[in-house]
Amino acid sequence: MAQIEIRDLGIDYRKPKSNEVFSAVDSVDLSVEKGEFVTIVGSSGCGKSTLLMAVAGLVDLTRGSIEIDGKRVDGPGPDRAVVFQEASLLPWRSVRGNVKFGLEMQRWSGGDLNERAMQMIRLVGLGRFSDYHPHQLSGGMRQRVNIARALAVDPEVLLMDEPFGALDAQTREIMGTELLRIWERAKKTALFVTHDIDEAIFLADKIVVMGRNPGHIKEVIKVDLPRPRNESILDSDAFHELRKRLRAHLAEDMSSMQLVQEVA
Amino acid sequence: MRSAEITAEPAEARQLSLSFLRPSRSAMIGTLAVLAFLVLWQIAPTMGWVNGRFTSRPTEVLLAAIDIFQNDDFLYHARISLTEFVAGFALAIVVSVPLGVLLGTSKIARHLIDPPLMALYIAPTLVLLPIMVIWLGIDMAPKIAVVFLGAVFPIVLNTMAGMSEADPKFLRMARSFGATKFDIFTRVLVPGSLPALLTGLRLAVGRAVLGVIVGELFVSQAGIGYQLNLYGSAMRIDRLLVYALIVSAFGYTLTVIVRSVENKVRDWRSK
Ligand SMILES: Nc1ncnc2c1ncn2[C@@H]1O[C@H](COP(=O)(O)OP(=O)(O)OP(=O)(O)O)[C@@H](O)[C@H]1O
Ligand SMILES: [Mg+2]
Repeated sequence: MAQIEIRDLGIDYRKPKSNEVFSAVDSVDLSVEKGEFVTIVGSSGCGKSTLLMAVAGLVDLTRGSIEIDGKRVDGPGPDRAVVFQEASLLPWRSVRGNVKFGLEMQRWSGGDLNERAMQMIRLVGLGRFSDYHPHQLSGGMRQRVNIARALAVDPEVLLMDEPFGALDAQTREIMGTELLRIWERAKKTALFVTHDIDEAIFLADKIVVMGRNPGHIKEVIKVDLPRPRNESILDSDAFHELRKRLRAHLAEDMSSMQLVQEVA
Repeated sequence: MRSAEITAEPAEARQLSLSFLRPSRSAMIGTLAVLAFLVLWQIAPTMGWVNGRFTSRPTEVLLAAIDIFQNDDFLYHARISLTEFVAGFALAIVVSVPLGVLLGTSKIARHLIDPPLMALYIAPTLVLLPIMVIWLGIDMAPKIAVVFLGAVFPIVLNTMAGMSEADPKFLRMARSFGATKFDIFTRVLVPGSLPALLTGLRLAVGRAVLGVIVGELFVSQAGIGYQLNLYGSAMRIDRLLVYALIVSAFGYTLTVIVRSVENKVRDWRSK
């Protein structure tokens, strides 16, 4: 059986200042194998974050179910860790303090907290910066601390919501390669939301394309590019093919969005 | 990736090289201005521009200061005022910090108590002074009460704001790691509201100093305010100025200390 089983998932939000409900995600079925890297793409507002937060146990499910290793998700758990879109680092803690935060919350018993934190900080290449505070780091460095904090608790599943969203294209590419290197070593299952088509292909074993109104899965595309990967695959024919396919999907979604705006 | 690391040296190194130039120039201008003012002040009565009886002179003030510190039971009066200040302020902290924390975490409590609290904060608590005197007599007690009333509201309100304005993204992050309510309280809300609490303390210092002095001016048998009253009726401008300087220096020093701690803590969250 797959590690993550999402069945007929539906999530409704209450609309502000009214009793109406708004369906953010509906009829989502998805299974993810252990160790698989799954990227999720789709136009803004199609429910990517909502889906991810549901797997994290941070929003209530309206319909359907999510199981991880056969256990129903009904809240956050030590088997999952989230890397949020904004680097949500506590400003009064140093890099090391921030990486320790998750360990402290989970009452980590696997040895010395400081040592564990330092190990993770080194893994993301910030060994020299462990005593810095977040405001002394660049955006990219902050995101690496974010990732180190999530990796430190040794989760089965890593949930990442546009972790490189705020970075420039170049740093983003470097971070992507870096992430793959870490992931290939740690062999975690990963769900990764992104807006960037190249990033989605480059990282993925499998791409989930979502559509809107309500958020649903349009297509799941397998990516059979060989691993380990580096930037050279960006120019391969297989990559071009996938890129074209994804572009077409997203363009379709954009035009329907414009239509909605014109009607409204 | 390596290049990203190099760009992020701490900012202190760069600030140091500039900081030795600017303050020294402004300090020089400041010193010159003060000197010019003192000279003008000294010669003005002699030249007949002002009446020296009402303005005194810098030299007279200096002599008065020496005399006060030597013969005036200064330490006795200062100790009384300081005791009133410390007692009232400590009492205010003991009451207001837990109260602010409590109100900050409970929405219902906040809605209930915020309007009256705000009203009390804005109203000058000194209007209660005569009542305090009727209730508590003319010794230290009414002054302590007035100091307490002046200091308690800014601390409560700022602590409360600090607690309730906690960044929701931190709360969500903490929950994602399985933080309990207690964890969130001790590891996110309390450290997060520390700068606001310090702001409250800083605002409270000024009000507390005011409380002591006005309390003693109103009715008392000892203390700095009592001395002010005494020399006021004797029209001893020189001595009054010495006391004014002492009181200002006290409030100023405390404020600067709290502010420097506050800035240090705030540094981490800004940017
Ligand atoms: N807490 C909430 N309350 C009400 N509606 C919400 C809430 N969170 C999200 N929504 C709505 O659900 C829909 C999906 O939001 P979601 O954040 O999942 O989109 P997304 O695909 O992650 O978008 P983006 O790419 O812009 O981050 C949006 O229309 C949004 O307005
Ligand atoms: Mg999102």
